[in-house]
Amino acid sequence: MTGIRWYHLALWIAFVAIMFVMPQLVSKGTLRIIIMANFLAIFAISWDVLSGRTGYISFGHPFLIGIGAYTSAILTKRFDVPLEVAMPIAVLMTMIGGIIVFLPALRIKGSYFALVTLAFMELIYQLVQVIRPDLTGGTRGMSGIKTITRGAVSNYYLSASLLIAIAFSMWLLMKTQLGIALSAIGMNEESVRGSGLSTTKLKLFAFLTSAFVAGIGGAFYVHYLGSIAPRALFDINFLFTIIVAALIGGASTIIGPIIGAFFLTFLLEFLRPYLPGAERYFIYGMVALLLYMYQPKGLIALMHTGWNKLTGAR
Amino acid sequence: MSHPLEITNLVKRFGGLVATNDLSFHVEQGQSVGLIGPNGAGKTTVFAQIMGEHRQTSGTIKLYGKDIGNKTTPERIRLGVSRTYQVPRPFSDMTVLENIRVGQMSSSIWKMITTRPNHEREEEIAHSVGFAEADLHKTPGELSMGDLRKLEMARTIATGTSVMLLDEVFAGLTVAEIAQIATLIQKMRSDGMTFLIVSHDLKALEPLVDSLVAINYGSKIAEGSFAEVMGNASVRESYLGVV
Ligand SMILES: Nc1ncnc2c1ncn2[C@@H]1O[C@H](COP(=O)(O)OP(=O)(O)OP(=O)(O)O)[C@@H](O)[C@H]1O
Ligand SMILES: [Mg+2]
Repeated sequence: MTGIRWYHLALWIAFVAIMFVMPQLVSKGTLRIIIMANFLAIFAISWDVLSGRTGYISFGHPFLIGIGAYTSAILTKRFDVPLEVAMPIAVLMTMIGGIIVFLPALRIKGSYFALVTLAFMELIYQLVQVIRPDLTGGTRGMSGIKTITRGAVSNYYLSASLLIAIAFSMWLLMKTQLGIALSAIGMNEESVRGSGLSTTKLKLFAFLTSAFVAGIGGAFYVHYLGSIAPRALFDINFLFTIIVAALIGGASTIIGPIIGAFFLTFLLEFLRPYLPGAERYFIYGMVALLLYMYQPKGLIALMHTGWNKLTGAR
Repeated sequence: MSHPLEITNLVKRFGGLVATNDLSFHVEQGQSVGLIGPNGAGKTTVFAQIMGEHRQTSGTIKLYGKDIGNKTTPERIRLGVSRTYQVPRPFSDMTVLENIRVGQMSSSIWKMITTRPNHEREEEIAHSVGFAEADLHKTPGELSMGDLRKLEMARTIATGTSVMLLDEVFAGLTVAEIAQIATLIQKMRSDGMTFLIVSHDLKALEPLVDSLVAINYGSKIAEGSFAEVMGNASVRESYLGVV
């Protein structure tokens, strides 16, 4: 589970190369879909760094992403703050949000923790509608938010670079002893304490890192979309898409959530003509469940066994 | 000179139940003390209080003369005391070496990120508790009970402890495994480790301890050399069921 090997780097280089030539290979429409997959992958990595590792299942990630998105949107649109100032502030605010989500983790675990974080999402959904709708746009949200760049190709390169930068740095971070310590919490938190490590510090770090990534993702996302709709953001389907992407790809890895995000995004797009409504989420829920029952370690494990069969290794 | 471990007037109540009742004893530097008593006597609860997993109701616990009563478990471990569990608690998806690595890690997050694992030391610890080369990359699911106990000890050693608390190290082991662990404890004793050992297996315990503390219903009923404690009437009655 640890150690950096040559084929890891080879895979990274291949991944970067494919992402680089992608605009030459696919249509603009497909490129737009991949942009969404890139953002979903960022959110799934953010979720996985926390929940996939430590086992503290967050149902509150839209809360974090929302803080990043709203902060940057409000600052740029209502106060004319330049993007390069607004976005770092947005990330900082999201990390404060991360501390808020962390607090219940001091006392509760498991499904109780997950439910409390779900309450955070519901709470911010209500708040943005009630408190200062002149700033947040209330129920209708906001549009006409400044975008960073124009056109499918440049937006694609922006989101792809962001994903690669985040994925690679998280991968390096999780390859250190810290990654092992965080995974250890997910396996047996008491034993981590019994090994002399402060689980409080480790968990706080995981929440902050997760929020950092969620904040970056949220801020870039809103300046890509140019609009924000609270009902779509603080939505249980959005939340489950993030979680399912991480789980079916392969939790506690970095490449897993990326694979999962691409798989899900394209599955949803594929289903769109047949099932335009929310039923699509039911279908993908079933697909995810079946896959998960067949191989709880996700697509990445399936691909691994497939590869080993091909090459004859064990 | 202060003792590595000193417990004074320790009391622990669980509601109406007195699990530790005004218990006092100490362990001297480099000594090995056996803590014995019938099922439910409160041995594990004493360990839990020493490690700060349960807070005592009253009384003091000192480590090298320092009151550790309000320290967290990780803080106590860094001060040099560590325990194994009656039921082994390994990290299930990690290899033997990775399990040991968690025990070895610095508690500073910055150091976790910036320092590489010390593979030589991990392997040295693994070998010292008797793991063969082929076992090092196995996960706990592939290990025998004896190996799991060795792994518990290895992770405890990895924390750099100088006072080791062993809870039922011989439970569920084969005769060969018992001999192996006993040899390991003897070796660590000669290297200067201080021990407090809980065991139901008195025969295995006898050669490993300098003295015994016997408790029943949380209270100390006898203390002294192995022979003295075994000869004590109330020990024989409560513990061995013979008069
Ligand atoms: N967390 C707890 N809450 C309530 N009672 C407890 C708790 N832990 C232990 N006890 C009780 O305290 C008493 C001492 O338990 P303990 O596990 O310390 O005994 P022990 O000597 O280790 O027994 P064994 O030989 O079976 O391991 C028992 O009566 C037990 O039921
Ligand atoms: Mg016990």
